[in-house]
Amino acid sequence: MEFSAPFFNEFAETWSRQDGYRLARTLSPEIPTEQLRKIYMSQNAHEIRNTLKRGLQGNAALVGGIEHAEVQGWVEVYAAYWNATGVILAARESSGDDSRASQLTWTKVYEAWTELLNLLLRGYQNAGFEAWTIPCLYVVSKNLRTFAIMADEERNSKNPIDDSAAANLQDDFDPETNKHQKLEDCARVLGRVFTLCQADRAPIEESRKWGSYYIANLLLKTYFKLNSASLSKHILNSLRAGRGDMPDFSAFPKSQQVTFKYHQGVLAFLEENYGEAEEHLTDAWNLCHKNAMRNKELILTYLIPCHLITSHTLPTEKLLEPYPRLQKLFLPLCRCIKRGELHKFDLALQEGEDEFVKRRIYLTLERGRDIALRNLLRKVFIARGFEEAKEGEKPVRRSRVPVAEFAAAISLGSQEKIDNDEVECLLANMIYKGHMKGYISRQHGIVVLSKSGAFPGTRV
Amino acid sequence: MMPTWPAAPPPSGVQPSNGYTASYSAPAYTTVQVRQSFGQSYSTPQPSYPVAHACSHPQSPSPNPANIAPNVTTAPPAAQEQAKSKIDWPESVRRYVQRSFMPANLDPSVPRQEMEAKLKQTITQAHENGVMYSLDWDTMPLPQHMIREERARSLLPLHSKPQAQTPYPVAGTGAVSKKRKSWDLTDTAAPTSTSASPPWRNGPGRLEDRVSFSSDKRQPGDELSKHTSKFSRADKRQKRTDGEYKTFREDTPPPSEGPVVGTCQELEKRYLRLTAAPKPSQVRPPHILRQTLELLKKRWKRDQNYSYICDQFKSMRQDLTVQRVRDDFTVEVYEIHARIALEKGDLGEYNQCQTQLKALYKLGLKGKANEFKAYRILYYIHTANRTELNNALADLTAAEKKDKAIKHALDVRSALALGNYHRFFQLYNETPNMGAYLMDMFVGRERLAALCNICKAYKQDVPLRFVTEELYFESDMEAAQFIIDHGGQDLLEDRNNTIVFLTAKAGQTFEGPRAAAFSRVDIKGQI
Repeated sequence: MEFSAPFFNEFAETWSRQDGYRLARTLSPEIPTEQLRKIYMSQNAHEIRNTLKRGLQGNAALVGGIEHAEVQGWVEVYAAYWNATGVILAARESSGDDSRASQLTWTKVYEAWTELLNLLLRGYQNAGFEAWTIPCLYVVSKNLRTFAIMADEERNSKNPIDDSAAANLQDDFDPETNKHQKLEDCARVLGRVFTLCQADRAPIEESRKWGSYYIANLLLKTYFKLNSASLSKHILNSLRAGRGDMPDFSAFPKSQQVTFKYHQGVLAFLEENYGEAEEHLTDAWNLCHKNAMRNKELILTYLIPCHLITSHTLPTEKLLEPYPRLQKLFLPLCRCIKRGELHKFDLALQEGEDEFVKRRIYLTLERGRDIALRNLLRKVFIARGFEEAKEGEKPVRRSRVPVAEFAAAISLGSQEKIDNDEVECLLANMIYKGHMKGYISRQHGIVVLSKSGAFPGTRV
Repeated sequence: MMPTWPAAPPPSGVQPSNGYTASYSAPAYTTVQVRQSFGQSYSTPQPSYPVAHACSHPQSPSPNPANIAPNVTTAPPAAQEQAKSKIDWPESVRRYVQRSFMPANLDPSVPRQEMEAKLKQTITQAHENGVMYSLDWDTMPLPQHMIREERARSLLPLHSKPQAQTPYPVAGTGAVSKKRKSWDLTDTAAPTSTSASPPWRNGPGRLEDRVSFSSDKRQPGDELSKHTSKFSRADKRQKRTDGEYKTFREDTPPPSEGPVVGTCQELEKRYLRLTAAPKPSQVRPPHILRQTLELLKKRWKRDQNYSYICDQFKSMRQDLTVQRVRDDFTVEVYEIHARIALEKGDLGEYNQCQTQLKALYKLGLKGKANEFKAYRILYYIHTANRTELNNALADLTAAEKKDKAIKHALDVRSALALGNYHRFFQLYNETPNMGAYLMDMFVGRERLAALCNICKAYKQDVPLRFVTEELYFESDMEAAQFIIDHGGQDLLEDRNNTIVFLTAKAGQTFEGPRAAAFSRVDIKGQI
């Protein structure tokens, strides 16, 4: 909306209603180019501040309700926004324009937008911006991240080698560090925004603490993108430490809860705390909007491997039905595990390796081999049938199994001979991990399985 | 204002190599005034350049004019002051100045004044060092970049601590706090340590009897001597912090400059952490460094003096860094240093090389990339770094996965992930290159894990020979010793001339040592 009467009325209106989300819309860059141009053309650099000042101070609805310093703060914010619209326009127009191909237009957008965010921050720190306006912070922060990514992409595509890296005299240099130059900068700025929210000591009702989770989510997302998930630790710690003064987690918008729980779950997953990961991811799953398919897919990507480890359970086909991508990812493996097809499992794992590694679930899924092996051994046990039943007694399975029989089963799929010592090693592992109850008698080359529940949890 | 530095003490012709003996009890240091910044040093004439950079032996500075590079300006300061107006600036310098002030290159965060000062300083220094014409001004970083660089560096915690400096490097420890940390770790906690040596390191017949990098084998006595020398080193460090050695403390971060073009002709040079801009006369150009490398290779074969070799390699790396030499030769230097560090179990130094190598390979430089990628995987297995392991997997191409060494490392990883100790110890036996030195680091804890497995799974007992073979011990003796060392003395029994291992009786015996062995890795805070 260009800076004329309707805009000032809108500002005053949101002000009297204290509608932060509506106010935030006036700071969004996600509007059609035409509208953007209108805003930019309606003013010039000399007049913008005066226009804004007059408009805000002169508005009847605002008179008396707003401090002078605060007006001044908003004037600066909107002036910066106006400035940014010009740069965004230039960037949008230059895309596809080869004559300006060498210019880093999105870098300029990123810089102009950083300026806007800085002025907004200053508004909270010095000009007394109220907490209900924090949706403005959301919109500006969220777009800062977007612009940072666009700036990095543009730079990497235009000049892959940045010579500022050569200026580095440090013993350890990394040619990759520049790849995410702006996004890293963005992470730092967002860190400041997070602190601004988190460190507010005002009473809860009017505290910026309400913004903590939104910004934390943005930060976590950024850290993941930067491949430095470990940095997320201090965000979680800070939130945990401040929990006493925070509104209850369930009081935050559901969307923020879901995102946060998801991130928390994935972080625990990466640290191999599968129990904790399962808990967080399950929370996220339960809170997630039923139509948010993409989000549900993301949650399942980690929740399914979690279940494989914690409770040895596999997803049903019905669960995966709406997610073709997940079917492709998990179904082949699941089938092999269920049938105890060890060799096919190895092949399926190899087949999907790139995808699995990319999603950081490879090392977890690999452990599903244990379950596949258990199911295979279980089949051997069942195939051996029962002891000759004595009269009046329940039939008992034949519990003394030669190692060689297990060995035959294991090499059945791959057609490769596996020596008995290695089979014993695998069996020992099964016993040690509690997948199988019994013991190996090396002397006799047999495995003596428990008569009551040789394979715990499988009703055998 | 013109610099008033006198020319550096020229390198002496003789480099006594016996300066690397174990004893450093007579530190030859010269107390020099701390140079807070360049600005100050220009106004305060200094009688002598800090010995920190002297190629020569600090105790015997024997000026040898012949060694001074021909184009070093030796005019006294006063004369230089007059000469200033007459200097004919080369075209390249003019271009450099122009480039610095180009609006596109200006950095709003760097005030113009500061930038001008830096520019002036850079040029006068080049002039003073006589490299005005030889420097490649077109690739010289702009003053605003240098300033930014300095700022960024001064923020690093690494440099925020005052650093005690002695003109002698205490063998191998380096002087950088980061480095010291890793040594402290090694001293107190890491499995590689010799002072707190994990039990399996003490057993007889270790891997080095089977595998060795060079013709020389690691001697059993070597371990002991290293042990004691490290103690005395720690002792020394303690003394230093207690102020027994009265040396100056340095607060300023090392300044950054453009690439230096070295003129030093000495082959050997002690490593000293730079605390000021490197002097070209004390930096060896690449062709000299090549000769140095040949010399060091010979020395290493002959003497096996690790503290000497490590120190020399560090100074080589430093010379390469300050001259920004990043080519195949750089890769070779790092590779050789990494291998030697590996052989000596110096994981800290190895890790530095490995990090650097990763970056160098990424630049597309040739070397033994696959060999070192394999080491890298083994290293991450040792440090149990899952995130990095996943990253390493993600970085591998299909062709690399087929490489013998990398495939071996991946197999090791997968064998361990699946608890297949049988396969793991087979792989341990067939490790290509020098990977066995890395595997040595974690083979002990994997033996404990396997023992736990065996004890839980086998009843009533197994022959000791079975343990020896499965866990790849050299002999029954060694296996027995390992069991006894971990509290299993009651589990061995002589039965009709064969020793049996009473697995059924073991219970939780090895669980404690196992947990301890696995938790110890976490302390190693390196990547």
